[in-house]
Amino acid sequence: MSFRPNDSTVESAGIEHIDGLYSYALVLTHNRSEAEDLVQETYVRALGAMGRLRADSNVKSWLFTILRNIWFNQLRQQRTAKLVALDGEERAVNIAEPAKDPYAFYVGKIEHEQVRQAIQQLPAAFREIILLREFEELSYQEIATILDCPAGTVMSRLARARASLRKLLSEVLGTSDFVRKEALE
Amino acid sequence: MNTCEEHGHNVLLYVDNELSGQELENFRAHLSDCLSCREQLEEEQKFSDLLHRSRPLYTAPDELRARVIAAQHTSVSDHTPNRLRKRVLRLLKPSLQTPGFPMFPWRGLTAIALVFLLGMVFVPTIARRARAATYMDTALTTHRSYLDGNLPLEIESDSPEAVTAWFAGKVPFDFRLPTSQASPNGERAYRQVGARLVNYRGSYAALVAYAMKNEKITLLVTSNKSAEAYGGDEIRSRGLTFHYHRKVGFNVITWSTHGLTYALVSELHTSARQSCLVCHQNMADKNEF
Repeated sequence: MSFRPNDSTVESAGIEHIDGLYSYALVLTHNRSEAEDLVQETYVRALGAMGRLRADSNVKSWLFTILRNIWFNQLRQQRTAKLVALDGEERAVNIAEPAKDPYAFYVGKIEHEQVRQAIQQLPAAFREIILLREFEELSYQEIATILDCPAGTVMSRLARARASLRKLLSEVLGTSDFVRKEALE
Repeated sequence: MNTCEEHGHNVLLYVDNELSGQELENFRAHLSDCLSCREQLEEEQKFSDLLHRSRPLYTAPDELRARVIAAQHTSVSDHTPNRLRKRVLRLLKPSLQTPGFPMFPWRGLTAIALVFLLGMVFVPTIARRARAATYMDTALTTHRSYLDGNLPLEIESDSPEAVTAWFAGKVPFDFRLPTSQASPNGERAYRQVGARLVNYRGSYAALVAYAMKNEKITLLVTSNKSAEAYGGDEIRSRGLTFHYHRKVGFNVITWSTHGLTYALVSELHTSARQSCLVCHQNMADKNEF
C-alpha cells in the first residue's frame, strides 16, 4: 500500500530528523559543507520518493538509508573522499542547559566536546554504528537494514565500537560522575 | 546453566532493549543473583548515559534547516509559484505591451521582479519555520533532560503565584503564570511541581514542570523575540492559536501571547484537540477547544 503524502506528512518526515541526519553526515564525511549538501540531497531524494513509501514504513531509518546510499555512491564515483578535519566550530548545541550554575554548564559542554572528539577518532564503521545506536536509538534490525548487513554483524561490531570508544573516554568516565555531582551540588 | 559467560553478551542486549520474552526473564533472574553481571550492567549504563547526555551529537545549522524547509516547500507546492508567476505576468502584461521602448530589457526586469516577489512571499515563512523548529527542538531536548534527571528543579511548589514570584527579576521578560483555575468539581487533571531557570540562545528562559498521574509535563517559556510558534496542526481558542506537533513520540504544543512564546511538552498519546482537553477536561473552558 502506498500513500500520497500531504504537507504535514512531508514536514514531519523531515525536520524532526535533521539533527540526527546532520550528525550522521558529519560522522561519515568529516566535512561540514559536504555534510550539509548530503543532508539536503537526502531530503530532496526522499521527497521525490515519498509517493512510493509504504504507509507502515519506518521513515527515520529510510532517511538514514538514503543518506548513506548517496554518500557511498558519491564515494564510489569520486574514489576519493575529502577528509578535512573538523575544526571544532560546529554549531553549539541549542539545548536549554541548567542555567543557575555556570560551572555545571561548563562541565556539560566540556564533556560533550570530549565525546565528539572521541567519536571522531574512531574508524568510520565504528563511528556510524555508535551514532545510529547510541544517538539515534535505532534497533539492531533497523541498523542492519541501513548498513545492509546481518543483525549479528551489528551486534559484534557495536560491541567492538563501544569497547574502543570506552577506552578513548575512560578518563571522562572516571571523572564525569564525580564532577557532575559536585557541580550540581 | 546460568553462568556469567553465558549471560555476558546479554548485558549489552539488555542495555539496548534487544532482549524479550523468555530471554529477558532468564537474564533478569540471573541479574538478581549475580553481582558481577550487575556491576557490568551498571558500567554499561554509565557509559550509555555519558553518550546520551551528549545528544544530539551535532545540531544542524539554521541555514541548512531553512534550505531543507524551502526544498520541501518547493516540492510540495510546485504549483504555487507557477500560479503566482502567471498572476505576476498577467499584472505586468500591460506594461510589457507599452510601445516606445522596444530595446528595454523587460524580460530581465520581469524575472527580477518575480524573484523579488517570490522572495517576499517565501523567505519570511522559511525564517519563521526555522525559528519555530529550533524552539520546538530545544523544548523537546530540555524535556528529555528533565526526564533524565539532568535538570533538577530550583523551586518546588504547586502554587503558580509562588513560581511567578520566584521568576521575578530572574528572567529578562515579564512572566506570570495564571492563577489556579478552579474546576467545577474541584478536581484538577494535573498539578504544578516546580520550576527552574534554563539557558536559551544566550539568555534565560523559564521551565515549569507539571505532573499528571504517571506523566511528566514541562513548559518552556521565553520572549517571542527569540522564539516563534508556527506550523503543525492549529487549534484556535480564546483568540490564541495553538500549534500542535508530534515529534519522536512526544507532543509539543506551542503558542505565543503577550510577548512570550510557550512550548508545552508531554508524552500523551492523543490528538491535537484531545491533548488540550487532557488538562482542561474539568475546567470551565473545556468546550472552547
